[in-house]
Amino acid sequence: MSAATLTPYPVCPVGELPLGKRKIVTLKGRSIGVFNIGGRYFALQNRCPHRGAPVCEGRLGGFFTASEPYAPALEREGEILRCPWHGWEFDVTTGRSVCQPEKVRVKSYPAGVEPPPETARVEKYDVTESEGQVVVWIVTENVEKLKS
Amino acid sequence: MVDTDVHHQVRDKSELYPYLSRHDRQRLEEFGLPRNGNLYQSSGGFKGARADCFGAGEDVDPRTRIDLFKEKLLDGCGIDCAILQGEYTPGVVALMDVDYSAALCRAYNDWTLEHWIGRDPRFRLALTLPLQNPELAVKEIHRLGDHPAVVAAYAVCGSPRLYGQRCYDPIYAACVEHGLALALHFSNEGNGVNPPPTAAGHPSYYAETYLVRPQFYQAHLSSFIFEGTFEKFPTLKVAFLESGFGWVPSFRWRADASWKALRAQTPWVKRLPSEYIAEHIRFSTQPFEDPEPPEAMLHLLEGMNADKTLMFASDFPHWDFDPPDAISRKLPAAMRQRVLSDNAFDTYPKLK
Repeated sequence: MSAATLTPYPVCPVGELPLGKRKIVTLKGRSIGVFNIGGRYFALQNRCPHRGAPVCEGRLGGFFTASEPYAPALEREGEILRCPWHGWEFDVTTGRSVCQPEKVRVKSYPAGVEPPPETARVEKYDVTESEGQVVVWIVTENVEKLKS
Repeated sequence: MVDTDVHHQVRDKSELYPYLSRHDRQRLEEFGLPRNGNLYQSSGGFKGARADCFGAGEDVDPRTRIDLFKEKLLDGCGIDCAILQGEYTPGVVALMDVDYSAALCRAYNDWTLEHWIGRDPRFRLALTLPLQNPELAVKEIHRLGDHPAVVAAYAVCGSPRLYGQRCYDPIYAACVEHGLALALHFSNEGNGVNPPPTAAGHPSYYAETYLVRPQFYQAHLSSFIFEGTFEKFPTLKVAFLESGFGWVPSFRWRADASWKALRAQTPWVKRLPSEYIAEHIRFSTQPFEDPEPPEAMLHLLEGMNADKTLMFASDFPHWDFDPPDAISRKLPAAMRQRVLSDNAFDTYPKLK
């Protein structure tokens, strides 16, 4: 019987990942880009499904659309990641390709904020979110369950 | 069985006189029919046609003989519908004197309706149009677009501008209004104000331009896709006649790659280019390709969804004519009815 669990891996204190910024870290041997999009955190594997580029090093921009030819409009500023090698666009909030959302995606991981480590908590009376840790949850095998 | 590409011609310019104003008639009398530039001073076969079609004498162009069309094509090959793309068209639509050009187009269309369409119910017509002046082309579509035998607007590939560009939109709007397909066929590349047949320059020999034709069809196809023509005209169908088709699978892959990489620059392109091609573009069988090994053909047909996108054409009476029985044998059995008939009916809304 196999079982798995999500384990939180700390990335950095919240204050080190401001709005619209990203941080590329290595967690559990994987290169992962962590993004702060409008105060929400998203984590994507730093590997483009097309040719293996470090996709999280691409430029962040908006989604260009058009209700009719020759009338481009910009939506969702800052939520679209464009791969640095061939320009494939990905929705940072889902990892899905803009062109082929059902077929192509960058692997994504849940990300969020957890309270700071115990040591910080004992030193401070109040814990605010700005002192929390950005974490990425990665699936790990639950060894205990496997043993039993 | 439908033949989507055959070529007819007037035997003598005087056949057009009854359809012209006094002013235009005099000009035609005194100078003659405009010809395209004959850039290559050659074609294939004999005078560009099947040498076995000159039984009436070497001076009688088989393109002018409706009796020959009936004998060798309609009856001989069992063709139920043959769509006429005028041999005369390229020279006429290259004229910068657009009013004279439009007058000759009208005369040619009227003459064809009376002397070809009117004499055998199996003929259909792709309208000759002065595309170099979209306003006049639209007028002609409105004038004849509802004629029951008119099924398409004929466009030659040689053109000062790529056909997806917005100056042509009124033509496509008129096509849609009258239920016409757009029939695109090579000719006129490098003539008059048109750019050369290749972006790298003028080939020396006819064999070269014969070989490189796919590139200018590809240029027009790219233009249709990235200008958003099919977003603007979601029911428009375009027949790519005599373009070859072996290039289509690789073009589809490359077009999709271009879009995935550069989508944001033309955000009005909403779908994979291969999806627009599958829905809107139809390719003719002639000149049918003979890959080596022969079974490679199956991969080509599969890679272009040929069961939906390939239509039979003979190119009668040109020298590189393909007979339907020989082409049919090269197709998987399940695809024959689609290619020889059904796909044409799905492409030309007025074809009956």
